[in-house]
Amino acid sequence: MAGRRAALKAIDWLAFAERVPPNQRGMFNALKTRTDAISAKLASLPETPAAIDWSYYRSAVAKAGMVDEFEKKFKALQIPEPVDTQTSNINAQEAEANKSAVAYIEASKARVATYEQELEKFKNMIPFDQMTIDDLNEAFPETKLDKVKYPYWPHKPIANL
Amino acid sequence: MLSRLVFLAGSLKSSGPIGAGLVQASRSLQTSSQSLAPVPPLPEYGGKVRHGLIPEELFQLLYPKTGVTGPYMLGTGLLVYLLSKEIYIINHETIAAITIGTIIVYGVKKFGPSVAAFADKLNEDKMAKAQEAKDVAMSSLTQAIENEKKEQWRVEGRAMLFDAKRNNVAMLLETNYRERLHMVTNEVKRRLDYQIALQHLNRRMQQEHMINWVEKNVIGSITPQQEKESIAKCIADLKVLAKTTQAKAAA
Repeated sequence: MAGRRAALKAIDWLAFAERVPPNQRGMFNALKTRTDAISAKLASLPETPAAIDWSYYRSAVAKAGMVDEFEKKFKALQIPEPVDTQTSNINAQEAEANKSAVAYIEASKARVATYEQELEKFKNMIPFDQMTIDDLNEAFPETKLDKVKYPYWPHKPIANL
Repeated sequence: MLSRLVFLAGSLKSSGPIGAGLVQASRSLQTSSQSLAPVPPLPEYGGKVRHGLIPEELFQLLYPKTGVTGPYMLGTGLLVYLLSKEIYIINHETIAAITIGTIIVYGVKKFGPSVAAFADKLNEDKMAKAQEAKDVAMSSLTQAIENEKKEQWRVEGRAMLFDAKRNNVAMLLETNYRERLHMVTNEVKRRLDYQIALQHLNRRMQQEHMINWVEKNVIGSITPQQEKESIAKCIADLKVLAKTTQAKAAA
């Protein structure tokens, strides 16, 4: 009887809650309520049912052999365990989630690399009061005045002054 | 020359032509020789001048030989020489130059600092804006890096979700199994109890039926003759009882 039940993994709900991003909090709360309901239901049922007092029934019931027959059949009865249909689905979901997570982490790392590169550029810049206009144009290419497109001063559309 | 006037009167931070000239000299020197270090920043102030005209270097040059008054004596001598030899002739232009010069010097001395402060403020504002933009960019980048790292940490917790799901499934199965056990036991018990209850009912009905039948028969078997006899007997008994009671009461 004890062998059939897969051991329940202890889940640290606090740590789990920390890792949930704010936009998925609703789903997490729903999962938690469901889990709590299921475990409450499980806890309310005792593991083995109350044993039947066969000797009492043997003395009480007048019909000969009925109790013995019942007892024999009852003891021989094997209750089939419910079939587990969902665990394979969950495992498949987990594999898929792992794949997408790896891809996401890769993309995230690439983003972090670009951010760090830009941060380095900002850190290594000379202070503004020692820059010339040429240095400024090097550091921030968008400040460069397009002297070809706008050959006359102020070299940019007047609206952008 | 006028620029030197402005230098003394105001305190412009951007370097003027003299300063630029000095630095350009140093820059060209640097490029001609080995230019190792990045070019140092331009000096903030130009060379020091006395009376807005004469560079300080002249005074320093003459100090060892002629002391403090040396350059002044040189200047006075030069001026007297020019005037007496009429190398410089005093005419109307001289008066004009003197008056205009006085007014210009007075104006620059009075308004120079405020104009310089205003110009500096314009520059400061530009720089402050640029600095702010840079700071904002840097802080937002660091924040973005933080967020990315946090998201990566969050993703690591994905296994917990699936553990929770599997736990749920296991719990549901277990509940179902227990429910089935309980159901079987309860059903068997119910059937046995039913049998017992049935037996009790049967017995009770038999008892009641028997009692009723016995009663009916007994009452039916009392014939009218027996009834008269029993009533006579009762009356005789009562009479005897009455006599004994009377006797007891009298005695």
